[in-house]
Amino acid sequence: MHQLASRLLATNYGSPPGITSQNKDVRFLWNLTYWFAIPLGLIVMGLVIWCVVRYRRRPGREQIPHQFQYHIPIEAAYTIIPVVIVAVVFGFMYTAEDRIDHVAKNPAAQVKVEGFQWGWRFTYLTVDGRNLSRAEQFQEVGSVANEPSINDDSSLPTLTLPSNVTVQLDLFTDDVNHSFYIPAALFKRDLIQHVTNTVDLNFLKTGHFIGECTQFCGTFHPFMRFNVDIMPPAQFTKWAAAQKPGSVTYAGKPFDSGIPANIFGAGN
Amino acid sequence: MTIIEERPERQEHPVERRLAEIVPGPEPHGFVKYATSTDHKQIGVNYMVTSFLFFLFAGALAMVIRTQLIVPNNHVVSLDVYNQIFTIHGTVMIFVFLGPFAFGLANYIVPLQIGAPDMAFPRFNAFSYWLYLGGGLTLVSGFLTSSGAANFGWFGYAPLTEAVHSPGAGADLWIIGVGLTGFSGIFTAINVVTTIFMLRAPGMVMFRMPIFCWNQMVTMFLVLLAFPVLTSALALIYLDRHFHTHFFDPGDGGQPILWQHLFWFFGHPEVYILVLPYFGVVTEVFATMSRKPVFGYKGMVGATLSIGGLSMGVWAHHMYTTGAVLLPFFAALSLLIAVPTGIKFFNWIGTMWRGTLVLNTAMLFCIGFLFTFLLGGLTGVMLAEPPLDFQLHDTYFIVAHLHYVMFGGSAFAVFAGIFYWFPKFTGRMLHEGWGKVFFVLMFVGFNLTFFPQHDLGLRGMQRRIGIYPAHQGWDFLNMLSSIGSYIMGLSIITLLWNFWRTLRKGERAGDNPWDGGTLEWACASPPSHHNFESLPPIRSERPVWDANHPEDLTKVGH
Repeated sequence: MHQLASRLLATNYGSPPGITSQNKDVRFLWNLTYWFAIPLGLIVMGLVIWCVVRYRRRPGREQIPHQFQYHIPIEAAYTIIPVVIVAVVFGFMYTAEDRIDHVAKNPAAQVKVEGFQWGWRFTYLTVDGRNLSRAEQFQEVGSVANEPSINDDSSLPTLTLPSNVTVQLDLFTDDVNHSFYIPAALFKRDLIQHVTNTVDLNFLKTGHFIGECTQFCGTFHPFMRFNVDIMPPAQFTKWAAAQKPGSVTYAGKPFDSGIPANIFGAGN
Repeated sequence: MTIIEERPERQEHPVERRLAEIVPGPEPHGFVKYATSTDHKQIGVNYMVTSFLFFLFAGALAMVIRTQLIVPNNHVVSLDVYNQIFTIHGTVMIFVFLGPFAFGLANYIVPLQIGAPDMAFPRFNAFSYWLYLGGGLTLVSGFLTSSGAANFGWFGYAPLTEAVHSPGAGADLWIIGVGLTGFSGIFTAINVVTTIFMLRAPGMVMFRMPIFCWNQMVTMFLVLLAFPVLTSALALIYLDRHFHTHFFDPGDGGQPILWQHLFWFFGHPEVYILVLPYFGVVTEVFATMSRKPVFGYKGMVGATLSIGGLSMGVWAHHMYTTGAVLLPFFAALSLLIAVPTGIKFFNWIGTMWRGTLVLNTAMLFCIGFLFTFLLGGLTGVMLAEPPLDFQLHDTYFIVAHLHYVMFGGSAFAVFAGIFYWFPKFTGRMLHEGWGKVFFVLMFVGFNLTFFPQHDLGLRGMQRRIGIYPAHQGWDFLNMLSSIGSYIMGLSIITLLWNFWRTLRKGERAGDNPWDGGTLEWACASPPSHHNFESLPPIRSERPVWDANHPEDLTKVGH
């Protein structure tokens, strides 16, 4: 029970703290919404409870109450005040959303993220601001075929990214719709064929996180998970330098050279 | 032979002959009546009973879902069967229960409330019922095929629905089944709109119609706008699957995103199609049980109309995360729709204000509805903001939100409507004690099931997963949720028991057990053929109240 209570009473109204620079905007919107939603909700619930207690049928009260139907000032108030609230929320939401959807011209790192039934393929296109040639790009792949159990995170593919710089992700799918979701980043974006989706993330925290597919994509949808490793830029540079150009690793292990990488999807 | 000469012969037939006496032959009973009747009341009951049976079926599927999720890494059913179960659960609840139950209420109640003898097109009406029944059975018959029922979720996103990703007859049966219920909806809508426009009793001007009729009318217009889009989209996906067209097939230049637009262009009005009639139900119950007229009647009608209008422009708020829609436009309209919904809340509170509240089961469900729907509405405002939706979309937060709206909203109003109109349908009163037991169990079970799901979503549990890892901190909340769902299951058993005992030995209800004010309380319970022996004068939206309480006549409107 303390698990539930601690999360519900957390300062962020139950939402975990975000690990990217978007957290500030999202958190502000949570706050703004709650500043209006909690008092409004309490007022409405309070009025309902008050009406039920105060006006319930009791012996001794007149059975037929006074018949009235309109009260223009009250009606005007509960029409106009919500419109104003909605306008305020919309104004702040608009600027926050603009910042979140902003895409930089020169990201420090760029990764092509491909989803397929049922796994992920991460191809590193830009490292430390330098575009890798086709031959230099390296890949990390993982799929349900390699996951012995839903509880085993070590068999998942890992998306390794630097912290404190702008990371650009190009989202593609080989087959049906998927969705790229990192719960700790408070962010997701769908992967849909013929829809080009490029998103920027700037991770402010390092560490290990879990990513998921949230768009239902067929039988093994729950297994379509991935690890996210966020490391300081210097460490990321070292890690990237250690990757063999043109190599494909399969959930962290060297890929069996006998199997072509595109067996898990058409590939672009 | 002139017309004048014929006149004396006509006088041989007594003028008082009643309609019931010129219906030839004995009145059919039982199955024959069910299968052949074109009476709006019989068809209304057919709709309601059928959709309630489908509700029990889909509810049983929900029990399987919650049993599968009660502990992590559970294997009660296989992943494929789990996918079929949540697909059919969602599809049946949306297309075969909530919508058609509202159509059943429309069939039964709307002609009575406007003082009409029947619907405008009685045989067309029967035809829509049989289309609906056929559609519903087609939909669930997928379970009888070797490859199982449809397994792509109730909004069947392309290209997962293409033949290459979802082979098998289950998907086709889903497409055809949903298409048939769609046609049934369109035909019912034509019928109800025509009835409301053409068959109102003398004196029943539009602004004297009960709110329930207004809401049904707006709903039916939304049906006419939304359902043809759905049936067209279903035809396109069927062509894709069987005739090698490429509307949604990305490999050959088709656009998967097109399906989402077509589906949600139907799907968002559909959400209001499923909730506006039930707003009407609770409005009627609040007014009757508070023994007052509806507070702010004209504002209420305006709110309904603006919800109807706005709901046509918010479909892409289901698509914020696709990256292919203009976010500010859809966010603005989605936020704005909270305003007329809020107006309705204050109208309901205003109706109770300074009234004399009769806290019976129907009223308790309406008060419960205020709490649950309020929560669903507030989470809806959060989800209408794209940055928060990026976090919450397709997680259990959405599942919680939609159940607070669809179940805590619409289904609670279904129960309120059942308790409120059961005396009119059957002539017997449902047992109040068992009704209150049902309400308490349902209210507790519902909140225990769905409130923890908000938190699960915030913890990153995605929807539509039949299995989840043990180390994510999701197990305790899922356990709570499953226990809650069993309490809901138990509460439904008390309702079924209540039906059973009431139909056998329930207390007799008079014509007007609640001292209601609208016209359905002016006829017998259950109403006779063609409903009314006589109508009271209609000078307000509560003609029966005016007739029963003439001393209040002068006070109305002040």
